[in-house]
Amino acid sequence: MKNCRYYRQDWLAYLLGELDSNRQKMMAEHLARCQRCQKELNEIKDVIGRTEDWRSELGKTMADIDWDRLQVAITDNVFRQKESQSAAGTAAPLKHRHWQPALAGLVAGLLLGMFFSYLLLRPERWPESTSRGNSKVNLPAGFVQRVDLALAQRETLDYLERSQYLLLELLQAKSPDEVSALLTQDRIQKLLTEKKYLNNQLEEVKLAKAKMLCDQIEMLFLELIQLSPEMSETELSSLREIIENRQLLLKINLVKKELQTSEV
Amino acid sequence: MELENADRGQSNPEFLVAKIKNGDKEAFMRLVGLYQQKIFVLTYSMVHEREDALDLVQETFLRLYEKINTYRSGENFNAWLMKIARNICLDFIRRQKARKKESLDQLSPERLDLADTDQDPAHFNPGELISRAVARLPAKQQAVFILHHYQELKYEEIAKELKISTGTVKSLHYKAVRKLRKLLARQLGGEA
Repeated sequence: MKNCRYYRQDWLAYLLGELDSNRQKMMAEHLARCQRCQKELNEIKDVIGRTEDWRSELGKTMADIDWDRLQVAITDNVFRQKESQSAAGTAAPLKHRHWQPALAGLVAGLLLGMFFSYLLLRPERWPESTSRGNSKVNLPAGFVQRVDLALAQRETLDYLERSQYLLLELLQAKSPDEVSALLTQDRIQKLLTEKKYLNNQLEEVKLAKAKMLCDQIEMLFLELIQLSPEMSETELSSLREIIENRQLLLKINLVKKELQTSEV
Repeated sequence: MELENADRGQSNPEFLVAKIKNGDKEAFMRLVGLYQQKIFVLTYSMVHEREDALDLVQETFLRLYEKINTYRSGENFNAWLMKIARNICLDFIRRQKARKKESLDQLSPERLDLADTDQDPAHFNPGELISRAVARLPAKQQAVFILHHYQELKYEEIAKELKISTGTVKSLHYKAVRKLRKLLARQLGGEA
């Protein structure tokens, strides 16, 4: 019959009474008129019939076993093994043979690492060390000096350049009003403040020429801020003369070149 | 009443497990008593050698003790324990397979019905024959077969035990019986 497949998987459940009553009834009706399914059911019955043999064989095997003794033996074995494991574990966890090479390697690695770290980082390697301020960091003295020098050079160059621009603008000013406008700006004030900060740096490092020039520029700026904003033509020309006579722009160029060529 | 409760506790796996977690040997022995035969049926059905099956029962309880802290209260203890036993048996069969270099699964049904290749099936009684055939069933089919025919559980109970649907239990049981029919074809007569 075409729809046997629909019943096939349920014949076992049918035989064991595991189906609901409707399905059981439907299966019985189909069985009554299907020879193929009757054959299938008989085959299943054959196997199920043999399960009794299986059960009795299993029963015989089990009857030979002393279960009470087994129960005690299993318990004793499990607890004995557990105790010996925990004793071995607490006594010497690292005594286990397969740990030994790894442990030896680890110890050797640590010792070598410590030795090389000492060689590389020991303070005697640095010819002179210095600590700045309250800092506890020791640095090689040469390195600190080089950094200081480079910073001082940069700051001086910057100061000289900005002074140079201001002086040029003063020289090129066409009228006293323009000069007055330049003087009223806070550019001179800023340069004077910067110079104060620069003094420390120039004193710490050996930049004598630059220091001298910066001092001259500072002097000039101090004079300039004392000038009256309402400047006459004569005052303007005398200001130009001062700048030219002192050859400030030339000196600035020379010192700048020197600083640039000796840059660290 | 208290005695009754204490008695009930002695056969309650949850109660016993809690005690075993605290290292109670008596509780462990009680648990062994409750489950050793069930486990033996499974191990014997899977390996079909009495001594091997007994060793596997012991190994199962040792593993149970090691893993006792991974058991969560409320879990189906029977299913949890049977899973341990089944895994131990499968490991054992794999080791045997590697030793013999001959997979039981790869044997043809014609050879399977003879069980051990060096023994004549005529020497086996019907019980031994079917027992050897059950040992050849795939793990899940075997579990369903044992639970139904030995422990006499209903499909719904097996489904709960194995955490599968009733439909799957029905299908696995049918497949197990068909396979047994094939394995026992010569003894039962008719087509395989």
